[in-house]
Amino acid sequence: MTARLFLHIVSLETRKLMAYRVGFWLQAVGAAVAQLLVAYYLWQAVFDSAGSATIGGYSRQEMILYYVLVILLGRIVRGQERESTLARDVYEGSLSRYLVYPADYLAFKYAEHLGNLAPQAIQLLVLGCAVFPFLELPAAVGIGLASVAMCAAAVLAANLLNFLLSYPVEGVAFWAENVWSLNVMVRLASSLLGGQVLPLALFPDWAQSALAWSPFPWLFDFPVNVLLGRVPPHEWALGMAACLLWSAVLNALGRAVWRRGSLVYSGVGM
Amino acid sequence: MQRYLRLYAHFLRFSFSRAMEFRLDFCFRIVMDSMFYGLQLAFFAVLYRHTALLGGWTLDQSYVFVCGYFIIDAIHMTVFSNNLWWFPIFVNRGDLDYYLVRPVSTLFFMSLRDFAANSFVNLLIAAALLVWSLARFPGPLGAGRIAVYLALLLLGTFLYYLLNLLFLLPVIWTQTGRGLDEMFFHFARFAERPDQIYRGWLRRMLVSLLPFALIVSYPAHALFDGLTPETLLHMIGVVAAAFLLVLAVWRRALASYSSASS
Repeated sequence: MTARLFLHIVSLETRKLMAYRVGFWLQAVGAAVAQLLVAYYLWQAVFDSAGSATIGGYSRQEMILYYVLVILLGRIVRGQERESTLARDVYEGSLSRYLVYPADYLAFKYAEHLGNLAPQAIQLLVLGCAVFPFLELPAAVGIGLASVAMCAAAVLAANLLNFLLSYPVEGVAFWAENVWSLNVMVRLASSLLGGQVLPLALFPDWAQSALAWSPFPWLFDFPVNVLLGRVPPHEWALGMAACLLWSAVLNALGRAVWRRGSLVYSGVGM
Repeated sequence: MQRYLRLYAHFLRFSFSRAMEFRLDFCFRIVMDSMFYGLQLAFFAVLYRHTALLGGWTLDQSYVFVCGYFIIDAIHMTVFSNNLWWFPIFVNRGDLDYYLVRPVSTLFFMSLRDFAANSFVNLLIAAALLVWSLARFPGPLGAGRIAVYLALLLLGTFLYYLLNLLFLLPVIWTQTGRGLDEMFFHFARFAERPDQIYRGWLRRMLVSLLPFALIVSYPAHALFDGLTPETLLHMIGVVAAAFLLVLAVWRRALASYSSASS
């Protein structure tokens, strides 16, 4: 696929998503407000009850900041919900047209995914500007140019990993009549095991050690901790390598599922 | 009334036979909801590693609370959720016309036509988890309190349905309901945590104007501390107000429905 075609698909998807602006902003603001308020009051209650200055190595302010960042950066990692695009193409028979396109299907879909990301980036900027003036940055947190640059790279890698994580699962659509619930399972697992619901430092040691061998920590916990300055450069490099390695493994797995699945694809649709 | 019961029996039969056509998806959904339950319990287990109390509740109380939430969620998913999910699409396509010309209440038909048979299995799992959480509860609860708790959970389920509907009805005017639908599920997160963690204006709002904190927490309070007349009146009052509001908005919405698809 040429870079020009790739960028054209990105632009097309962005414009499609912005067609329903009211719904788009309602969802963005509603989700951010609800998530932030629940997290804020939950952790105020936990710190009040626990009576300790830090929990899992996070002070009260750092914990709130963790959630603000995970909510904002999570939008870029997740992107717009893709509503099982591969599965839909299989069920509707519309996959047939992609088979005759002179472009790789997975690259085409990733371009669409990135197109959906541009509005999320706008949301990130707008919501970030609205929230950050109200936050007190803890003295221990040093957000500088280096940590922002390292975090940006980690978020982009996490976005790719998140995209590839659902691809083999969606490939099951070649054999099963509906894979929506499989996608939800991946999302649920990645929320808790990736650090979107709770910082992974709060998990028992054995769970943290086990998770380090999975693709999940690199999705949310890692980019947020990078921005908070809790990840030194050599650990960041290792984390990025692990994230990209998992992406390569999932890419290979997804393509294997695709190859097997396309052999049984009839093109008729359901 | 009998006609509606007979009609609902037909809905059930159609829904079960349709669910059996897609057996693999049927199983996937059961696993999905079981996973959701497991992750919610894991969330509280991890949280309580760092504190003895959350909003004044122990881990055992929080387990009962969250299992009550599973019951409400499972009933909603089984009875209402599929139907409400389709509502904005019907409005957008103009398909609501087919519901309007039926010789039964449109609200009844639109809310209850599709019974999610797979979620019904999850309702059984949720019920088993509630029994487990009550059985491991260290203090005496008593059959009377448990009966009141279950009755209030049903009231909470009805409130949950009414709130979901209230978030969806503006689709008649806006033509796109997905943003509002998503917003409902984001706001529903307030119901997933004990109400005592909220303070000040937010707490006042969550037990009155946007009563998400009532849905699961108030029944749990009645179970742990006994039902007070204030709690009962508060809950019934809010549910009645939400019901009247839904009826009023529903009538206005149908009067404004243009049937034009976009």
